[in-house]
Amino acid sequence: MSARLGRPLQLLGLLLVLVLPLLTGNAYLQHLLVLWLLYALLALSLNVIVGYLGELSFGHAAFFGIGAYTSAILAVDWGLPPGFGLIASGLVAAAFGVAIGYVSLRIVGPQFAILTLGFGAILHTVTNYWVDVTRGPMGISSIPPMSLGPDWLTVEDARGYYYLVLAFLAAFAYACHALKRSRTGRAFEALRENAPLAASLGVDVFRNKLLGFVVATAVAGVAGSLYGHYIRVITPDMMGLQYVAALIIMVIVGGRGTIAGPIVGAAVYVGLLELLREAGSLRLVIFAALLTLSVVFLPGGLVSLVRRTRVSAEAQQGEGR
Amino acid sequence: MEFAIFLQQLANGLVNGMTYVLIATGLTLVFGVLRIINFAHGEFYMLGAYLTYYAVSLTGMDYLMAAAVATLLVAAIGVLANQFFFWPLRREHEFTILLSSLGLALLMSNGGEVLFGADPKYVSSPFADEIAEFGPVIITQQRVLILLAAAVVLAGVYLLIRYSTLGKMMRATAQNPEGAALSGVNIRWVHIYTFVIACGLAALAGALVGPTAMIFPTVGNWAVLKGFIVVVMGGLGSVTGALIGGLLLGVVESLAGGYISLGFMEAIGYAIIIAVLLWRPQGLFSTARAR
Repeated sequence: MSARLGRPLQLLGLLLVLVLPLLTGNAYLQHLLVLWLLYALLALSLNVIVGYLGELSFGHAAFFGIGAYTSAILAVDWGLPPGFGLIASGLVAAAFGVAIGYVSLRIVGPQFAILTLGFGAILHTVTNYWVDVTRGPMGISSIPPMSLGPDWLTVEDARGYYYLVLAFLAAFAYACHALKRSRTGRAFEALRENAPLAASLGVDVFRNKLLGFVVATAVAGVAGSLYGHYIRVITPDMMGLQYVAALIIMVIVGGRGTIAGPIVGAAVYVGLLELLREAGSLRLVIFAALLTLSVVFLPGGLVSLVRRTRVSAEAQQGEGR
Repeated sequence: MEFAIFLQQLANGLVNGMTYVLIATGLTLVFGVLRIINFAHGEFYMLGAYLTYYAVSLTGMDYLMAAAVATLLVAAIGVLANQFFFWPLRREHEFTILLSSLGLALLMSNGGEVLFGADPKYVSSPFADEIAEFGPVIITQQRVLILLAAAVVLAGVYLLIRYSTLGKMMRATAQNPEGAALSGVNIRWVHIYTFVIACGLAALAGALVGPTAMIFPTVGNWAVLKGFIVVVMGGLGSVTGALIGGLLLGVVESLAGGYISLGFMEAIGYAIIIAVLLWRPQGLFSTARAR
């Protein structure tokens, strides 16, 4: 039943995502859609650490920032093509990921969370004060639009960015899907559930964790690059605690460890942020309450609601027979 | 002359370090005894500063009196936070507790913005503009007060943990909560007292530092970050680690600010921590699990 109903539902969802920006001519709505996909990509990358490795990272926004700054500095100060910056931003973020992961993944649990928080804070502070390179709190402005070479491959409008980011998101979501069925994915699952047991079965816990962490940071870097070229202005704020908290809210409220979860979480975040614009500072209070309620009462996130109703519907049908 | 500057920087660093110790001691106690990572810890610092501000400006209370009242009030709020938040969650997974404390932190800092307004405020203190001279070292009386009050209170907390029955109960709970409960320790009261001490210390830090810097509703982020960094460096759960780590961070920041660059002061402080962690990933005096 679920497979028969689930598959068309998924296809319908995909189709909807594909035509969504064509349905509205409103520039602001299109802007929100791009933001949604950017956050979704970012949340999906954090999900590799939180959902697959089972560790909480509170420094993920820093890698988002590293990617954005790398790309922006290469484009604005060095005059290199943005397509080059896109690749470089992923590599630089991954390099930071290797260094930071190598130090902090030796520790697990809450200590790891705090350690990543500390590293995030360091990167944030350095970005804020290293005025010669990052221009400090003023940020970098007039970043050129993303371009993959010639003029006709330059992305200027929100619709273009939507499909560009969507391509990255789809590729990464597919990679996550493939990962889950792969040997590495099973190793991740094993070490998340019981690290000593996994180690006893020959899974190199540290290397696998480092691999997952570095992939997540590289994708966050790419997302940062796309964000910078889309918004055109970046400031150190994007590495701050607000963004860290926002990303965690997206992953947890949406549903950690799933692919749909972080994407749904990002939609909820962007959507609620807009709907509650009237409420001013109160809206973050609402988010905080949402996070807490979700953690306590809905540990599987919003996505688990669908599964829950589906299971109960099947159970009812089974009884009916 | 050079040496005088060095002494001056050292004194400033020790004062800053003392406030870090006040913040970090509560954080490390709550983790060490109750295994709770309290992300909302900085918000109690924020509340301490704001309640002092309102006590002085609204009721015209004497600054010292206001600081004491604010500390006690926030300790009481800590009891409430434990009652409605941490105590019901005590059997949950550590990530659940960590994430819900993040929720509480966001709730309190944004709630603070709604209640207190986003504009920065100054706590007025009669000691803020008076100076004290110790040979070549000149510091404001407010900073002398920070040093003295923190030293006295921290000594009290150490003695309490070391020698009192409550301290023994706390240490027993830290070692093994079930075992402690079996031998007649009331875990519920240990929870409450630990939160009273931790939140009181954070609030005291806020009340003392308030007159030396602006306060704003998100100042708790800064406080909890400093606290975490000290605690990670010293070793999560270690009270001695919090003391050494806090003073070390304060002094290193101050010297780096004086001799290298004021802007990079904090980053250099953090860099020291990385060096320490590369050498001892679990912190200087740690109880952390290795991988």
